[in-house]
Amino acid sequence: MPSLLHICEWVSATHFSTFIRESPYWFPIIEGIHTLGITAVVGTIAVLDLRLLGLIMKREPVSGIARQVLPWTWAGFAVMFVTGVLLSIAEAATNYYNWAFRIKLILLVLVGINPLIFHLTVYRKVDTWDLANVTPLRARAAAISSLFLWACIIVAGRLIAYVNM
Amino acid sequence: MFLLSICRWLAETHISIMMRDATYDFAIVEVGHLLALAVFGGAVLLVNLRFLDWRFKKQPASQVARELLPLTAGGVIVMLVSGLLLFLAGPVRYYHNPAFRLKVILFVIALFFHFILQVKTARQVSDRGRTSPWLKAGAVLSLLLWFMIGLAGRAIGYV
Repeated sequence: MPSLLHICEWVSATHFSTFIRESPYWFPIIEGIHTLGITAVVGTIAVLDLRLLGLIMKREPVSGIARQVLPWTWAGFAVMFVTGVLLSIAEAATNYYNWAFRIKLILLVLVGINPLIFHLTVYRKVDTWDLANVTPLRARAAAISSLFLWACIIVAGRLIAYVNM
Repeated sequence: MFLLSICRWLAETHISIMMRDATYDFAIVEVGHLLALAVFGGAVLLVNLRFLDWRFKKQPASQVARELLPLTAGGVIVMLVSGLLLFLAGPVRYYHNPAFRLKVILFVIALFFHFILQVKTARQVSDRGRTSPWLKAGAVLSLLLWFMIGLAGRAIGYV
């Protein structure tokens, strides 16, 4: 059973990884699109989170905003995920040791668990509080966790490059 | 060169020296710039998608433009201030950076173009139903401009 480090070193030695890493254009372009993908994910989910906190679009039903916003959050996520995998392949060998990269992976798991809990619990009864300005405590807690975790992911993501320097 | 001499003068200021020499200042301001970008970018995307009649079709375009204005305007203000601080870390270096020049030009165009579009729409009273082809074209241009500004911004660090 090869260790994770060996897999990362093998990935890093492939033609594909070397190509992205050493190309003067591809790495920056993929990175730029990755950043804009994050913007689509975090910015759209922030609108829903801020509505859950009763800060914006107070007259709109929560479920209505969720329906309008979430498809674009997922589209942004797809862009972010694909470009993120490409960047990870390019820097597999260095990222293995990068603590910012490790923290980011843990945060990404947490930020995925958060909406899972939200949708399976308090959001199931959304019709009872759809128009409320002050949403249930658990909904507000989910919104704050989401905003906080995504902010940390952006910080950790930027730090990867600082740590690698 | 008038602009270049301003940049040279700026490079001598205390704040510029602080941004350049302090260990974490640049990284902290840069992360703040990115966090504001995330909020701003998502809000701009949703406003323009409403203008294109793709999202929030049940709400009037004016209402969406009005309600998301705090996010787009607030985001752009934070980005402008943090961006200015980042620029102060190396005014003369950035003056010569082609990606930075392109970004500034595109930003000034997008700033006026997008916010005139959003504020004008926000002030409309009766606009139920579909948006005009002009507004749709404006939304496409706005998205295109902000997208290029994002890529140009990333390119500053590479050229």
